[in-house]
Amino acid sequence: MKLFEVENLSYKLGDFKLDNINFKVNQGEYFVLLGQSGSGKTLLLESIAGFNSIDGKINFEGKDISELSPENRDVGFVYQDFALFPNLNVRENIMFSGRYKQIENPEETLHDLADFLGLEPLLNREIDNLSGGERQRVAIARALFSKPKILLLDEPLSAIDPTFRNSIMKFLKDIHRKYNLTTIHVTHNFREASYLADRIAIVMNGQIRQIGTASDVLNNPENLEVAKFLGFKNILPSSMLNEDSGRLFSVDPNTIHISKDELKNDYVFEGKLEECMGIIDHYKIFVKVGEEQFFAKLLKRDYMGCYADRGESIFIGFDKKDVSYL
Amino acid sequence: MKNWFLYGLIFLATIVLLFLSVPLFNMILGNDLTLLLETLKQKDVISSIYLTMKVSLWSMCFVLVTGLPLAYIIARYNFFGRSLIEAMIDIPIMIPHTAAGIALLMIFGRGTISEAFESIGITFVDTDMGIMVAMMFLSSTFLINGAKEGFKKVDIKLEKVARTLGANPMQVFLRISIPNSRKDIINGALMMWGRGLGEFGAVIMLAYHPMVAPVLIYDRFTSYGLAYSAPVAAIMIIISIFIFLAVRFINNRLK
Repeated sequence: MKLFEVENLSYKLGDFKLDNINFKVNQGEYFVLLGQSGSGKTLLLESIAGFNSIDGKINFEGKDISELSPENRDVGFVYQDFALFPNLNVRENIMFSGRYKQIENPEETLHDLADFLGLEPLLNREIDNLSGGERQRVAIARALFSKPKILLLDEPLSAIDPTFRNSIMKFLKDIHRKYNLTTIHVTHNFREASYLADRIAIVMNGQIRQIGTASDVLNNPENLEVAKFLGFKNILPSSMLNEDSGRLFSVDPNTIHISKDELKNDYVFEGKLEECMGIIDHYKIFVKVGEEQFFAKLLKRDYMGCYADRGESIFIGFDKKDVSYL
Repeated sequence: MKNWFLYGLIFLATIVLLFLSVPLFNMILGNDLTLLLETLKQKDVISSIYLTMKVSLWSMCFVLVTGLPLAYIIARYNFFGRSLIEAMIDIPIMIPHTAAGIALLMIFGRGTISEAFESIGITFVDTDMGIMVAMMFLSSTFLINGAKEGFKKVDIKLEKVARTLGANPMQVFLRISIPNSRKDIINGALMMWGRGLGEFGAVIMLAYHPMVAPVLIYDRFTSYGLAYSAPVAAIMIIISIFIFLAVRFINNRLK
């Protein structure tokens, strides 16, 4: 069921512009806005929260909320650096909204959240004495305590030590499941997006370039720009596959087979080995085929060595199922 | 000789520190204690010190109420004329205090504005109000600039998050912006109060009477000489140092 809809949202800040943004978020959905730094993701999230006077409409449960002030929008916001209030301790931070909003059973809500987020022993601590992970949990608890209808997360994992990111991603998923809370999560990390998102929107230069389910967007980019951003390699003209559609295709370096002898894949090319680099557990192999260059990754556990010396002929092959068209 | 640079710094710092502290300590320690206690019993001294403290406190409170919003506007918003406003706030501490006194006298001593205030029973010449405006004009810069720097240090994201948690702009200002810039505001307020306590040039143009402590010291010096004015000056210095140390101590102890 559609809960939230952004219609023709535009906003100009100096030379940068959010340009005609449209998307919908369903009830209980985990929606990720994925884009590079400076693409306008945070500005878009802040516009949804009501910090900017936008052109266009934001509908929430069928009502236009674009004229409402942030305190009347029922959104919870967690910033990248958590923005905890330094003048308040953990308990006071979490319960901040209790002064301004009607929260049913505030003490019970506090202890329920503190119990779930492992904050019970920290409730009377000053925020200066918290680790990055603890700060993040306090920021999430503070947002959840206010009983928002939609949770906005701005790069919530960026300030977290990489060692703990996986466990915190799981933790975000757990929160989403437990509270069935519609969530919009901004990130530049597609690993994070692929794990968490039900649906993804790719944001580039203040515009949304593609929207779809996580697997659809991450596996089938609609254009070259999105493909490059998502880290697609081997973006080549489809004429190489004997197709004259004029489109481009991409093939995952991990699915390319290499051999000194002819292969039996759907597509097989003979080329010259340009470079073979041994990296910890795999080889990066670059093969020139006509004017184009293919890049393949070969795990050392599958084969030790580069199959050929530099400049020698070599066969590469891949199957139809591993080809994505842009 | 490895630390010659540090020794050099300490030597030069000591010169300026002695220059600042010796006259004050000489004033305090160079006066006979019995004479100081005697002076403290004099009615005009007590009322003059009380008046100075009271009026400078009033002016500080007035600027807290009006200057904090101004400091917040300057710290948070970019608008045409902001630099001009900042310059206007700084100007009073650059001009001669007697010139400022004359400028105030021309506004609050005569003319339309003076008459408008007079119609509601407020006059400025030779009144507490006159002393207050003189103190305020020359010292509000310290509070406004202190608060402005304090507000700039408060991450705007704190205020934004507070809004999403249900607080309106006024509640955010009172519960987040002011408490998190509290140290700079208190320091600015102390500087303002201290500057107000010592204001002489502008005060004397608007209100020779009732006498604030600096005017009393000057009056005694010109009428009776150094021996009669020095104990009053010493008492004023002791009280100021005590109050400033106490407020700074409390401020540092606060979270």
